[in-house]
Amino acid sequence: MTGSTAVATPTRRQELPARPNSLAGTGVLLRFSLRRDRIKLPAWVGGLGLFVVYISAALPQLAPTEEDLDSVVPLFTQPVGRMFTGPAFGMEAPTYERFFAAGYAPYLYLLAALMSIMLVTRHTRVEEQTGRAELVRANVTGRHAALAATLLLATITNLLASVVVAALAISAGFAPTGSALVGLGTGLTGMAFAGITAVTVQLSEHSRTAAGAAGAVLGASFVVRALGDMTATGGSTLSWLSPLGWAAQTAPYVHDRATPLLLLAALTVATVFCAYLLQGRRDLGAGLFPARRGTAHAHPWLGTPSGLAARLQRGGLLGWGVGIIALGTVDGAFAQALLDAGEDMPPAMQDMFGTSGLLDGYVAFLGSFVSVLIAAYAVFAMQTLRAEEGSGRLDAVLSTRMSRTSYLAAQVCVVAAGAALISAVTGLSTGLAAAGVTGDWAVLGDVGGAHLGLLPGVLIVLALAAVLYGWVPRLMAPLGWAIVALCALVTLFADLLDLPDWLVTLSPFGHLAELPLEAFAASPFLVLTGLSVAGVALAVFGFRRRQVNVV
Amino acid sequence: MQMSDAPVIATHRLVKTFGSTRALDGLDLEVTPGEVHGFLGPNGAGKSTTMRVLLGLLRADGGTVRVLGGDPWADAVSLHARLAYVPGDVELWPNMTGGEAIDLLARLRGTLDRGRRDELCERFDLDPTKKARTYSKGNRQKVALISALTSDVELLLLDEPTAGLDPLMEAVFQETIGEAKAAGRTVLLSSHILAQVEALADRISIVRQGRVVETGSLSELRHMTRTTVVAQTDQPAHGLDRVGGVHDLTEQDGQVRFQVDGDRVDQVVRALAPLGVRSLVAHPPTLEQLLMRHYGDEGTAQDVSGQNVSGQNSREQAVPR
Repeated sequence: MTGSTAVATPTRRQELPARPNSLAGTGVLLRFSLRRDRIKLPAWVGGLGLFVVYISAALPQLAPTEEDLDSVVPLFTQPVGRMFTGPAFGMEAPTYERFFAAGYAPYLYLLAALMSIMLVTRHTRVEEQTGRAELVRANVTGRHAALAATLLLATITNLLASVVVAALAISAGFAPTGSALVGLGTGLTGMAFAGITAVTVQLSEHSRTAAGAAGAVLGASFVVRALGDMTATGGSTLSWLSPLGWAAQTAPYVHDRATPLLLLAALTVATVFCAYLLQGRRDLGAGLFPARRGTAHAHPWLGTPSGLAARLQRGGLLGWGVGIIALGTVDGAFAQALLDAGEDMPPAMQDMFGTSGLLDGYVAFLGSFVSVLIAAYAVFAMQTLRAEEGSGRLDAVLSTRMSRTSYLAAQVCVVAAGAALISAVTGLSTGLAAAGVTGDWAVLGDVGGAHLGLLPGVLIVLALAAVLYGWVPRLMAPLGWAIVALCALVTLFADLLDLPDWLVTLSPFGHLAELPLEAFAASPFLVLTGLSVAGVALAVFGFRRRQVNVV
Repeated sequence: MQMSDAPVIATHRLVKTFGSTRALDGLDLEVTPGEVHGFLGPNGAGKSTTMRVLLGLLRADGGTVRVLGGDPWADAVSLHARLAYVPGDVELWPNMTGGEAIDLLARLRGTLDRGRRDELCERFDLDPTKKARTYSKGNRQKVALISALTSDVELLLLDEPTAGLDPLMEAVFQETIGEAKAAGRTVLLSSHILAQVEALADRISIVRQGRVVETGSLSELRHMTRTTVVAQTDQPAHGLDRVGGVHDLTEQDGQVRFQVDGDRVDQVVRALAPLGVRSLVAHPPTLEQLLMRHYGDEGTAQDVSGQNVSGQNSREQAVPR
């Protein structure tokens, strides 16, 4: 204030704080965020805990004594097994706790990362995008308060996750040091991805782009770790380049080393620092990169029922399709490892893949498993119709010359074609991978048949969802997902759990021939396909009679 | 464009219920060819429900409804080729650009007139290359409006089409509706912007609690309600309250203020003349006053409108003419 001529209101100037407090209001926002997440936070932490409890309880079921684990170990120690799980420390002398750390703890790390990505996006960019952050910032809250409160919330959540995971592992009888490392690995992996997401939310105006960018980092981390761990037992240089690999490198219950956790802590600090720096350089609601523009004119095909359906279903089809195809391909590449492990696999796992002809059983299992996933895609895709209706966009579409019949029929046909496409491409890629690793090219046709032979099962689930949409749309989500869950239960556990016959009969997949274990049977294939077509007709009939978007 | 004089929209004792709520309770609405029909009423009066019945998205529970000579529920598709609809709360596909949404809806209605569409984008100052999720409410509204106005249709159903538009765009909107009318199109315009309705509407229907409580041209509606008169006379005018149709007479500093029934104005002016009129201001009721009578409680609204007119407004205008 020296040399200033404007000294008219010196007293008021002194009331102002020396420098603006960019963290003002953090406490209030944190309490508010905790309240908003009062369901999600316990659900996530509880879910992670449940995972630990389930695995620790299931392991003795799988291998009644620790000696029996020797025969299952190849599942995790084979290169493809390591790709899916981690570096497989200590598998030369397997125990339940080591088995837990090698095969299942990596999924705790992955889930914690996912949880943190969603948490940070939800409390920062989503708030800004909806304009709620503007309401908050207009009050006495500092520039960095929202981010600080979010990161504190992430810290609390991940800390709780660490404690719960470690405590439950210890209570399952696992060694305390290793259990603490698994717990800390879970929480710190979560924090590192909270930090990464704190950076990506600064970059884009849109929450989906921000979450997508963080998800891409997670995906890349998974791939780098997978390749690194595939190269050598215990991991290689590549494993150390992936944040997802660090928690596993603590080698819980084997070497029990804590130093890799420092890397996670350092990454957290660095990314958080970066996020604050970036946030200081941008306006509220703006991203560092401007939103991409699109085309000013629509393609002529967009103005047709099938064009509109294809456009609306494109994103979901791409996401589910790529995921299912990738999963199928990797499963196919797992075939040789399974054959190697197969000779002395415990009877429980042999049941799952069928008793005779291990490869045939595996191929048939893959076909059913992937078909259930495709049925899930079909139900998911039909949910988009509910969103179209609830948002009022269907009003706009149906107030044109588009008839209800062509609208619904086009949507269902596009979803059916998408499901068939996923099934065919997954069958092909899985078959190629399996043939590649086993050198047995006959398996290509078997895998294709195992997938396409079950397609009518997917179609009937789709048709059921469509009928529900046409008649009682609010039941489509609960009943649709219940059918998928039933199919999954029957496919995965019918033999293991001794499910009652009537329940097994309800799954459409059970009625179709299980290629290549059974010969192709035309009549159930044709009957289910015909029923699906009839179902779609019934759905259209209902949709024409019901009112649109009535609460 | 319209060949006959049969009404474009005709509902008779239209009833629509949602559970125990009677959203439409015997609604009678008639829209004649080539007119811009203002559709007014408080929130929840049933305007949007009426629109959605007219589109065949909801099924009427009672009464009859005809749109362009057809049944909107049974003949939805063929009727939709001849009309365009702009919802009050436009939701677009977030990952489509505004331009794509305009083209999509216009093509679904019929053929797309590229030239007209580009011209409207220009006039409404809309950037069609932006993704719909980045649009403000006003811009989403523009997308639906441009798409509807691009289409060569006989009937426009507009449900509060300019909510969220700035005054400049409001002017463009009024221009385009004028053009639509000149082209012979019929417009049903639901709106809360009274200046817009006053400027555009040939006739007006006021809906309240699912019923049309008044319908007619603005001047007809005015005729049915009281005109406020403020006069300065040489001689005291207290005898005036004995004249039939005069209400709420007050007198202050030689200035008399009262309301008179629309059909008694002539008699009152005759009674005033002998008193030596120095200044005389007569306000027909504004649309706002007309509406206030129906929006709120019937009795108090009448008083409120009376109070309004006797306020500062009239003093400013009370100059001899």
